Amino acid sequence: MSLQGKRFLIAKPGLDGHDVGAKVIALALRDAGADVIYTGLRKSPDYIAQVAVDEDVDVLGLSILSGSHIALVEQTLACLAALNAQDIKIMVGGIIPPEDREPLRALGVVGVFTDENTLDDMIQTIDRVLAQ
Amino acid sequence: MTNPATPGALDRRALARRLTQALEASAHQSLASFGKARHGYTPRIGITGAPGAGKSTLIDQLALRRIERYDPVTGRMAVLAIDPSSPLSRGSILGDRIRMAKVAGDPRFYIRSVPSRRSQDGLCDNVADLLLVLEGYRFDEILLETVGVGQAEYAVRNQVDTVVLIIPPNAGDTVQAMKAGIVEIADIIVINKSDLPEADKTRLELSAIVERHRYYAADWQPMVLMVSALGGTGIDALHDAIDAHQTWVRRTKSADQVRRERARHHVESLLERSLRTHISNAEADLFEQSMSDAFQTLAKRLAADANQANNG
Repeated sequence: MSLQGKRFLIAKPGLDGHDVGAKVIALALRDAGADVIYTGLRKSPDYIAQVAVDEDVDVLGLSILSGSHIALVEQTLACLAALNAQDIKIMVGGIIPPEDREPLRALGVVGVFTDENTLDDMIQTIDRVLAQ
Repeated sequence: MTNPATPGALDRRALARRLTQALEASAHQSLASFGKARHGYTPRIGITGAPGAGKSTLIDQLALRRIERYDPVTGRMAVLAIDPSSPLSRGSILGDRIRMAKVAGDPRFYIRSVPSRRSQDGLCDNVADLLLVLEGYRFDEILLETVGVGQAEYAVRNQVDTVVLIIPPNAGDTVQAMKAGIVEIADIIVINKSDLPEADKTRLELSAIVERHRYYAADWQPMVLMVSALGGTGIDALHDAIDAHQTWVRRTKSADQVRRERARHHVESLLERSLRTHISNAEADLFEQSMSDAFQTLAKRLAADANQANNG
């Protein structure tokens, strides 16, 4: 299993200022062979969508701990649609209550990861999603 | 290759995808896409230096200053930023963009992060192809940021007109060690973090080294400048020095000469890539033959490639 040649953008939308998790994920993806771009903290959905387009990523991973994951995902999807880039896959990681996971998937999020997942689980799931 | 650009509008999605294709292309695929393309004359500026010297932060300030030279409506600049690939996993963390906060969200700039992949010369695989793609999109200027380099990774010299070498102020003995190396190919040497106390000593040491190079340099005398990328001081002087060097390049070389040089280095890299592929795909017993037989076999395979490229 390898994510070699796959491009990821790990982004921190909104106001939460903690990116230890985002960096752990970025490193795990790198160790699985992926090329990983990180935006840095507190970026707006339209900035994130533009970077995803400019960097031609396969996957946009949003790290959200603030609780506003539904709104931020909706906004980011709208921004991607405005750039004609709906094909970029979106995944979400962070503090996501169980009852919000289905609604996120219904919006089009193809992976939701929380502290219940190990890094190996996550990489395997991503590998599977990208193989589809 | 048809020219994909219409003046004014930049299709960032299409450009981004073409760059990904170019990044992943084999020598065959590159020849199929660019084999008949003509090289451009777009100014190319390379920014190189050790890890942590401040390359990305400096580009952030410099790009913002240099865009003022160009048309306020149609002016645009590209930044190609290379970060190292892991030799273990082949993956990479591409983090240069984080330090380019001033230009990263500005539509006049297109920033693309690329991994070095197998390249160990401070650049990335297929860099000549990437630059050619960017030229096709009519940027006014292209900035190329190398991987953080040591003393002898100066392949950037062959890909750009102007080489800016960034040195941190505490380079100390490293500067001495660099005497015969990257310092010799720089057109402009920047001592970054010039507010730190060791900066002036480093400037004196470098000025002495540059002085010695006057024996070799025909015309252009490398400049040594003090800059604080984070504080934004010395950026105007660097901007002017780049203009002066660009003027010198364009005075001493015709457009055709620049194009010829770019084409030459591009062909060189295509041949190297093709040969490297043949060597990695070679049957194990090829190297049990005499070296001259192995050489001949590989040369024939390379020649077969050439025929295919010209007919294809």
